[in-house]
Amino acid sequence: MKTKSTINCMHFLRGIALATTFTVLFGGSTGAQNDSKPLLVCGVAKTQEQEPVKEKSEATIGLSYFKKADGSKIAVALIKAKNEQRKFAPAKNARVGFYAGQGKEQKLLQSLTTDMKGEATLTLSNNLPLEEDHSFTIVARIENDPLYQDAEEKIHLKDVDLKLLLNSDDTARRATVFVTETDKDGKPVPVKGVELKFYVQRMFGTMPGGDGYTLSTNEKGEASFSYPKKLAGDATGLITVVVKMEDNDQFGNAVAETPVKWGTVLAVDKNPFPRALWEPSAPMPLVLTICILFGGVWSIYAYIFVQLRKIKTEKINA
Amino acid sequence: MTNDNFDLKKEIAILEEDCLRPTRTFGRSTQIWVGALLVVIGWGLYCFIHQLSHGLGVTAMRDYVSWGLYISTFVFFIGISHSGTLVSAILRITKQEWRRPITRSAELLTFVSLCFGGIQPIIDLGRPDRIANLVIFGRLQSPLIWDIISICTYFAGSTVFLFLPMIPDMALCRDRLTVVDSRFKRFKKWLYTFMAIGWTGTKSQWHRLEKTMNIMTIVIIPVAVSVHTVVSYIFAMTLRPGWDSTVFGPYFVAGALYSGSACVILGMAAFRKLYHLEKYITPRHFDLIGRVVLALTLIYAYLNLNEYWIPAYKMATAEGHLLSDLFYGSYSKVFWTCQFGTVLLPILIMSFPKGRKIGPLVVTCIIIAAGAWVKRYLIVVPTLLHPFMPIQEVPAAWSSYFPNYVEFSVTAACLAGIFLVITLFSKIFPMMAVWEVAEGIELDHDKKVAIEIREERVITDETELARIATLKNGQVTPTASLNETL
Repeated sequence: MKTKSTINCMHFLRGIALATTFTVLFGGSTGAQNDSKPLLVCGVAKTQEQEPVKEKSEATIGLSYFKKADGSKIAVALIKAKNEQRKFAPAKNARVGFYAGQGKEQKLLQSLTTDMKGEATLTLSNNLPLEEDHSFTIVARIENDPLYQDAEEKIHLKDVDLKLLLNSDDTARRATVFVTETDKDGKPVPVKGVELKFYVQRMFGTMPGGDGYTLSTNEKGEASFSYPKKLAGDATGLITVVVKMEDNDQFGNAVAETPVKWGTVLAVDKNPFPRALWEPSAPMPLVLTICILFGGVWSIYAYIFVQLRKIKTEKINA
Repeated sequence: MTNDNFDLKKEIAILEEDCLRPTRTFGRSTQIWVGALLVVIGWGLYCFIHQLSHGLGVTAMRDYVSWGLYISTFVFFIGISHSGTLVSAILRITKQEWRRPITRSAELLTFVSLCFGGIQPIIDLGRPDRIANLVIFGRLQSPLIWDIISICTYFAGSTVFLFLPMIPDMALCRDRLTVVDSRFKRFKKWLYTFMAIGWTGTKSQWHRLEKTMNIMTIVIIPVAVSVHTVVSYIFAMTLRPGWDSTVFGPYFVAGALYSGSACVILGMAAFRKLYHLEKYITPRHFDLIGRVVLALTLIYAYLNLNEYWIPAYKMATAEGHLLSDLFYGSYSKVFWTCQFGTVLLPILIMSFPKGRKIGPLVVTCIIIAAGAWVKRYLIVVPTLLHPFMPIQEVPAAWSSYFPNYVEFSVTAACLAGIFLVITLFSKIFPMMAVWEVAEGIELDHDKKVAIEIREERVITDETELARIATLKNGQVTPTASLNETL
């Protein structure tokens, strides 16, 4: 006679054997299948539950700070992670935490997810926690992301002010920029030796203003650049002067821009064949052509109708 | 001569009877046929209501392919509407006598295919209730408005063109058919009286009818050509690979004539068989129209070569991607089947007299019609799937297209609608222009009489010359003298 434990053991082994047979016959849950589509086995749907744990990709963070011409400030984190070819490529859908301050005083500003380009952009408020020398620290961090390994990048910068002075009557077309920072007492102090680049805004980007368009500020925090006379402006001769401070170790990126009438007036030739579809009304030759052609045909139809009426009335008269 | 007159009258009476007979019956097989068509139409209507209530999302169309089976069908139906113009107007204007028994079916095919072709773009709209806005706020510089104007103009013209030769027949039906006990007698009587517009066959009425028909025959040809040219403009005036072509206008017109004339042959064969019109629509008619289809297929093949060979030689970036897909990509099987199976093979078949016999010709025309429909699909869909800006950041399913059951059902309902209208028309009106065919019989008879008189004269002359020759002791040979006389 079999004991109860022997019977249980036999049932267990039979179950394992059955399960193994099913797995071999119908491609069960073993093996490296990543999709979790339900698999129909003998009319019963079962979910492939055992997915292999995917290894997290190694990630890096590139953190930049920009001060725009209107005074608004943004921090941009560019996340790159190793792809299947073991090369760093922009990583989408990575969760990035932006923090302000250092050490224990660090404060979470916002958590963002990277876009298709692997970028997460945070607009910074004006009341960032500042240190004694009016500098500030921004930290971007990947923490516990399911796809990417933890990573961190920190920038420590000071706020800077770019003041662009232009005179539209200035025949020398001189653009002067004053660069100042704020000292411990909160007073503006000129910054010496900051590299600035002088550009002109164009439709798809900025164009260097001319030869030697990169200058450094003097001890007064001042840099001047003379724009050439023959710069193409718009229909009123307006150009937009753009001065940039790019990737500065102390201040990051900053821009100042001002429109000024220094350009040559762009005389736009009237297009003899404007795109009619965009015009409020159809071109007269087109209207006339359609009216004549189809008007003619419909007039003939009308004539035919008159003839049919005559056929009918002839009978009545008869 | 009295005997001749008697025969002619008898023949015309037989003709009238043969033409009017189908309008008196609505047999069991017709009832089943109409019932089956109504089922298909009902299902298609249900699918269309489903599409209306749930939006175009229930179809397979998505952001990139927004013109799918519906617009392909629109182009195909508008194409076969050219049949009436070709067979009726062109053959009428060139005074081809063999046209007489087949003009009515060709004109009817034009009318019906325009009706159902015209509604395809409305079916394709997500909000068809806003169709009036296209007219109210339409911009004359848009090819879509040109299309509406030209299709409406062609539809009006085709209706008139179908109606004009029907007037004497309606009078005949009014006078003859209602005498016989038939279904819907009162309705038919009213309809025939209304459509006969008081026709009594006076000399003045005949004069006016001939005048109006001549005018319409001339007018309808450019209108028909304009319609399919403008349909091609909807594509060609869009900056897209595959459509950016200057040859599209004539290419569409040639394609329309080729598929339309093939459909006319199918109609001819069907009515000949079903309504026992073998006496009037003879194998000679099939041979002659087969030659016309052959000529049109050759023109179409030439334009096809231009349409694909020139861009294929250059293989410009976006155009190259599209052509690669057509030549050896996902559409290659369908594309080459269309080119060889429905263009080159029909040319080969119809080049031989045996290929223009009724059976082979009907099979060839079925292939041509099906091929023309698939070709329209190949013009519309692959181009939409190959835009200049690459398809990206959309679900993978959006980058391919194959019509689903909703589109197939609605399209099948439209096709069934065409068959239904043709069937009902043939059960109310004669499917041959009785007076035109009678006129043809009279002309044939006159010709025969003229030939007989001539032969009699020749025989008399020969006898006379032989007598003279005998008198002159065989100095002159009668044949030589006769030739000189002639």
